[in-house]
Amino acid sequence: MLGVRALFGIGLLVTSRGGSVLTHTGACARIASNIYSKDLTHRQACTMANTIKYLGQEEAQHIDEELFNEYSFSVDQLMELAGLSCATAVTKGYPLQSLLKSPPRVLVICGPGNNGGDGLVCARHLRLFGYEPSVLYPKRPSKQLFLNLTTQCEKMDISFLTEMPEADVIDEVYNLVVDAIFGFSFKGAVREPFGDILSQLKKITVPIASVDIPSGWDVENGCPDGIQPDMLISLTAPKKAANHFKGRYHFLGGRFVPPALEQKYQLNLPQYPGTDCVYQLKCHCLCGWA
Amino acid sequence: MNHSSNEKEPETIEPLRYISKTEVATIETELLRDYRFGQQQLIEIWGHACAIAITKAFPLSSLSKKQPTVLVVCGPEQNGSIGLVCARHLRMFEYEPTIFYPKRSPQSLHQDFTVQCEKMDIPFLSYLPTEVQLLNDAYNLVIDAILGPETDHKEVKEPYAGMLVTLKQVKIPIVSVDVPSGWDVDEPAKDGINPEVLISLTAPKKLFCGIQLLTNLTRYFG
Repeated sequence: MLGVRALFGIGLLVTSRGGSVLTHTGACARIASNIYSKDLTHRQACTMANTIKYLGQEEAQHIDEELFNEYSFSVDQLMELAGLSCATAVTKGYPLQSLLKSPPRVLVICGPGNNGGDGLVCARHLRLFGYEPSVLYPKRPSKQLFLNLTTQCEKMDISFLTEMPEADVIDEVYNLVVDAIFGFSFKGAVREPFGDILSQLKKITVPIASVDIPSGWDVENGCPDGIQPDMLISLTAPKKAANHFKGRYHFLGGRFVPPALEQKYQLNLPQYPGTDCVYQLKCHCLCGWA
Repeated sequence: MNHSSNEKEPETIEPLRYISKTEVATIETELLRDYRFGQQQLIEIWGHACAIAITKAFPLSSLSKKQPTVLVVCGPEQNGSIGLVCARHLRMFEYEPTIFYPKRSPQSLHQDFTVQCEKMDIPFLSYLPTEVQLLNDAYNLVIDAILGPETDHKEVKEPYAGMLVTLKQVKIPIVSVDVPSGWDVDEPAKDGINPEVLISLTAPKKLFCGIQLLTNLTRYFG
């Protein structure tokens, strides 16, 4: 009953049932039903007609700010959803039963900022999914958020390494490495100890799954002699660097973008399957279509 | 209705343990104090899990009405905030939630959840009709996120007492978040609302059997 639903949808008081009420809200009925139906058709049309937008660094930063300032999300809320997406993507690309080494060890390397925070959440969910993550977290910010995320991991019996293992040790011990070092805010030179860490990562043969941006890459232009991850998990929307990604698995994660924000920036996000928090993007063929 | 705690899954899973009201409070204190989870973080995890549970119990394709409408009734405290997060994720999952949130929490933490829902264009009702048929006609199901285990359900104040009277009469399924509102955590309510689905958070509470136990969410906390 469209009229009744519309009544509720815009929060009018119900004074009586029957024709008079429906007439009064007739115009409103159309508006209310449009709140939901327009969004779905719009997105369907977009994915058919357009490709997903790849963001520049500034745009990515603006979207982030808007999520926190206008939409009132908290960092820990979105980080939780982002980290969950990363862990989920890992389970899809590297399911437990497919791992060559037992136990199912994974090395998660966390950088000094929010990308590192995403990595900590990812590690925790990987633990819950049955993997055995170890975390390398050499530079820890003093913010309470990161202290808390660290404690949450420690209390899950996730071990924290004191130093970066050599490449051959990584290859021997771990099934894969999650690169949560630098994210979309990264600019300029790589400070130690991350220079050394990235050098080791260039030598390993086990797969690397990068969170949002392959660490060390320019956020827009990529990095031809940087690390070459096997998996990229783009958060919110892919960044331009993803155009240079040549690995096997490109996932989109961070399923929290409000429709209004998506429309404002014309992100053309795809429809995530069911309740999944990741969407697998087709990897680039030569024509560059996602 | 099955009392699933006695069902034996193959080998590895032990029977579920039902926890009391005191244990609920202790566990939550420990999660916050010792495990350093943030309150907003926990509410996000719980609300997200509720939304997923609902999609499993009532997939979009199974809904009988033309639009996948869902009414989410939110109380003033944590249970209500979980409902708000649940509504937001249901929206992401292509459901059409409408929220009834008569008494909004003054805490900024909970206010943020309200803004997030508003910014997702989720409508908020200004009042809950007492005409039960209107609810039956408009919505596929009702999410009861009114009162949680921390509240004393024996002393339910207005407007919640009136809302519960209405909800007792609806014909559409009710999904209760953590504890059916109006029920005591440790004991069943003889004349309370009768949810079809219960989503237990962290661990199931000592409740009257006869409710389908849908999801045990201990996996989020190890």
